[in-house]
Amino acid sequence: MGITAETLDQLQGEPGWLRERRESALSAYGRLPLPSKTDEEWRRTDVSRLDPSQFSRLEHLDGQKLVLPEALPEGVILEPLRVAAERHRDLIEPRLFSLVHADRDRFTALHAALFTGGTFLYVPDGVVIDKPIIGQHFSHESGTGVLPHTLIVAGKGAKFHYLDEYIAEHDDETGYRSGSTEIFLGEGAQVGYVAVQKWGRNVWHFSDQRAELQKDSTLRLFNVTLGGSFSKTRVEASLVGEGSNAELKAIYFASGDQFFDFHTLQDHRVGNTRSDLLFKGALQDVSRTVYAGLIKIAKHAARSDAYQANRNLVLSDKAKATSIPMLEIDNNDVRCTHGATVGPVDPEHLFYLRSRGIPEPTAKRMLIQGFFGDVLDRIPFEHARRLVEAELESRIG
Amino acid sequence: MATQPKIEVGSDYKEKYGFFVPEDYVFKAKRGLNPEIVKEISFMKGEPEWMTKFRLRSLEIFRKKPMPNWGADLSVIDFENIFYYLRASEKQSKSWEDLPPDIKATYDRLGVPEAERKFLAGVSAQYESEVVYHSLQENLTKKGVIFLDTDSALREHPDLFKEYFGTVIPPADNKFSALNSAVWSGGSFIYVPKGVHVEVPLQAYFRINAENMGQFERTLIICDEDSYVHYIEGCTAPIYTTDSLHSAVVEIIVKKNARCRYTTIQNWSTNVFNLVTKRAMAYQDATMEWVDGNLGSQITMKYPSVYLMEPGAKGDVLSIAFAGKGQHQDAGGKMIHVAPNTTSTITSKSISKAGGRTSYRGHIKIYPGANNCKSFVKCDALLLDDESRSDTYPYNDVDAENVTLGHEATVSKVSDEQLFYLMSRGIPRAEAETMIVNGFIEPFTKELPLEYAVELNRLIQLEMEGSVG
Repeated sequence: MGITAETLDQLQGEPGWLRERRESALSAYGRLPLPSKTDEEWRRTDVSRLDPSQFSRLEHLDGQKLVLPEALPEGVILEPLRVAAERHRDLIEPRLFSLVHADRDRFTALHAALFTGGTFLYVPDGVVIDKPIIGQHFSHESGTGVLPHTLIVAGKGAKFHYLDEYIAEHDDETGYRSGSTEIFLGEGAQVGYVAVQKWGRNVWHFSDQRAELQKDSTLRLFNVTLGGSFSKTRVEASLVGEGSNAELKAIYFASGDQFFDFHTLQDHRVGNTRSDLLFKGALQDVSRTVYAGLIKIAKHAARSDAYQANRNLVLSDKAKATSIPMLEIDNNDVRCTHGATVGPVDPEHLFYLRSRGIPEPTAKRMLIQGFFGDVLDRIPFEHARRLVEAELESRIG
Repeated sequence: MATQPKIEVGSDYKEKYGFFVPEDYVFKAKRGLNPEIVKEISFMKGEPEWMTKFRLRSLEIFRKKPMPNWGADLSVIDFENIFYYLRASEKQSKSWEDLPPDIKATYDRLGVPEAERKFLAGVSAQYESEVVYHSLQENLTKKGVIFLDTDSALREHPDLFKEYFGTVIPPADNKFSALNSAVWSGGSFIYVPKGVHVEVPLQAYFRINAENMGQFERTLIICDEDSYVHYIEGCTAPIYTTDSLHSAVVEIIVKKNARCRYTTIQNWSTNVFNLVTKRAMAYQDATMEWVDGNLGSQITMKYPSVYLMEPGAKGDVLSIAFAGKGQHQDAGGKMIHVAPNTTSTITSKSISKAGGRTSYRGHIKIYPGANNCKSFVKCDALLLDDESRSDTYPYNDVDAENVTLGHEATVSKVSDEQLFYLMSRGIPRAEAETMIVNGFIEPFTKELPLEYAVELNRLIQLEMEGSVG
């Protein structure tokens, strides 16, 4: 069974404009070539074995389980995206897939054509929500496609935290998973966003997380990648308003024969903007990771500050981490630094701990915990921090 | 593109080799590139048959290879409109008066002696260090060191030449190495025998009369076991040429326990496309160091590389790039770790000014089985105004075990605090900025021989004043 207009028929009960969007994305999917090894972005990322059409049976059509604070303040909209598309067309139509473009590549096109569940969150100007909002996206079956999409709109001065959890019922299931997020931050908004990807170990996973920051807004984004046999994640922030500040952090833990790919972009379009990126990962067994990040400072974006670091802890002789941090700086009145490291556990650190009578496995675990420690502290809210720490604990084990 | 080349290659056969080209035999420098021209070049040089074949094969490869689709914009190069070989008489048509005034002014300011100026400007191939050269040459010969221009080396040491030529950079390596392999002329050939340490840095300068700065020069250096040599190419003063394409190939073999340092300071005039392939093979416990300075040219694409072939080999690249108005310096380094227990470092410093663009492009590749390697890359960029641009593109591929790899880069401007500190001590702004820039590239300058370091500092001063094109 290929992916055709009939595949779209699984998605009934949507407004006409959305159906048209899906159709045009589907035609982009048909038109766009499969990325080849000659594209720099895909040079180390092999998708030649993937045939999405074998996962054309879609699951999870009714959205997700939302864990809400007891009462949401007046004016806040929190609905499954497909429901909201009908009721809040004016808010959604201009924004949906305006940051994550459907025609960027074959996989974003597929996501835009077939996105299933997902959430729409709208927080009006000046509204503050204390407790985090949690969206949990489950997959229940093997061999299906699950493609949740989160659309977040923060009004001027709005302040809240949101957590997306991608959870597999069975760790060994196969399938196509695609969880993408678009975040719009209005003037002075402060948003904490955490995505925890724990799909099954045998799925293909694609994700695009992109935010647009208006004047004086602050985004604290935290990405956790644990699942999938293949996982490709793009994390991108466009700083379009002066005084905006994006903090992009991530941790990943790859084991077995998992392959993780991360592409990041810190796009400083105007001056007086700040971005701070730190991606930290540990690799075990025969896993592989690729990190490629770009800081881009536009011609007139003076007095911008950008920081980018990728640190990889290689715990096995056979694991491989590739790190490519890039800069394109078009203005001199900036401060930019980036760094990347790939290396094993420092033998001196290990020796120090062992000389104090700590057995090697324990010492190693302590060093891994220490390695992740500084970035875990940056998780924007308590609930997510506990969740991630527990998740990591069980894997380091 | 269509300008007439004036620094030429293979011009003075008559004086040097007593090789006489009859006046009526006119070797017309035709534009363009075809097998006939390549055959003629080879014939004019009286080369053995294998070299003629090598050139023709390289030409085939050059034709088949696509232009690189990354890095700087090279689409304006018109290969059919370039002279690939020229004869002596055409050179004499050029005179001191023809030089652009800014080049002359720079010579004045740098205090380059008249004779040297003419040499640099391609007006004269004579340079007064002949005496120095001869005594040096005697000394070297006693030790068994061979230091010749590449054409003579092919004639005088055919076996040694054939053994190594084209083994480090085969013609098929890239489009420009293929071009060079087809039409090469000039360059240096150095052989240092086992255990010999050459104390004086060897400079292409000394090898007067030879074609030092040809358009398609070809350098081959062989350091036998336990030897040491330091070779210096180029000079800080701007080299004026109307050739628009400079495409050299430099091959170096550093055998067990040997050490080679290759210093380049190149300051081509800003109409030149400088597309150079430089590569060294380092064997057991050998050390290869590239010290690479790129100041002039319109576009430079140059990534000196070291293949670390056996355990214990060490590679080092130290490079600076200065891009002024209309210039794009796409430079960097490559470290290919083939063997385990090898180490490498790349340090890159770049300065962009008046709309210039500098890019660091590097590649660290660690092959499967090359375990326990260490590699560190550091790039610092200084942007002097808000029109200029700086990029960093490091590519790292690690396929081995227990590898430690680090990369660090910073981009900044001349800091206000540093400026304030100097100015508060009565130093005028321009001078203070120059001091800061000189301080920024100090790790590079301190690796240069004294006279080069002094000249480089002076040159930076000129560039900073904006008095040099």
